[in-house]
Amino acid sequence: MSAVMLITGTSRGIGRFLANHYLERDMFVIGCSRGPSDIAHERYRHFEVDVTDEKAIDGLFRDIRKEPGRLDILINNVGIASMNPIALTPVSSARKVMDTNFIAPFMFSQRAIRLLRKSKHPRIINISSIAVPFRLEGEAVYAASKSAVETFTRILAKEVSGFGITCNAVGPGPIRTALIRGVGEEKIKALVARQSIKEMATFEDVANVMDFFIRPESRMVTGQVVYLGGAG
Amino acid sequence: MDKPSIKKIIVDSIKNLNLSRGPDEQIDESPDARLLGGESNLDSLGLVTLLIDIEDNLADHECQVSLMDEKAMSRNRSPFRSVESLAQYIADFIESR
Repeated sequence: MSAVMLITGTSRGIGRFLANHYLERDMFVIGCSRGPSDIAHERYRHFEVDVTDEKAIDGLFRDIRKEPGRLDILINNVGIASMNPIALTPVSSARKVMDTNFIAPFMFSQRAIRLLRKSKHPRIINISSIAVPFRLEGEAVYAASKSAVETFTRILAKEVSGFGITCNAVGPGPIRTALIRGVGEEKIKALVARQSIKEMATFEDVANVMDFFIRPESRMVTGQVVYLGGAG
Repeated sequence: MDKPSIKKIIVDSIKNLNLSRGPDEQIDESPDARLLGGESNLDSLGLVTLLIDIEDNLADHECQVSLMDEKAMSRNRSPFRSVESLAQYIADFIESR
């Protein structure tokens, strides 16, 4: 049977691209987002779930346990941004960013471990950002949430190694998604100029790193964060 | 779910865990076995694995229980110390809902 993958945030952007990417590679993909998905494929199942709702996540995993009854790969993709100076960031939006970007991957990983430990090549992949090593002004909350994801990734890698689960993260720079819609062209150019490779990354670049993490030969690769374009 | 049924689930989970452990790492399968300390062979990963197995087995009986919550962790005496104390903790948890 083909590998079973769960991707959060598949209604658009990177998540949607990854779902299609892995469907093309014969995987069974379970996706989720707050709204419906336009992905129509016999090996795709979609759940409308708020990723910050613990009970809804429990329900999702109960369903996965019943059908398909297993899980090989979890991609914690969903994320939101908050591009504001600290002095102007409402506490409510800081909480929302932390809930979505850090608590959600925490909850999904925690629940996924139960199924992943029975897999032959179990993988957890998180999404970080170059906002962490670049310590970007105006993105304190977003960068802090991704710092949390990175530390979580490294510690989780240690805690689940006994189950054979690897846990890694990919940290893209700016990619053309809804996440950076509100960021000015000049700011994006300046950001790209700070990378070692002065080009914007694409969805394919993200998928390429994930392909590497996923392959069975990468069983010794864990607790790593790979920044696209080079950063740090 | 009554306490004898809970105890049976715990013991079955231990038996299942023992299948993947070496002869020197076997965990006592008796209903009055100690799980932590003393002669127990259970390390932290083994305990996590056992608790996840027990939760999964309880879920198979339509009984959703979260064993690793703050209440369990903050008790002076760990509810995970023996099969008996764990069964009592689960029974109390189910009754309190």
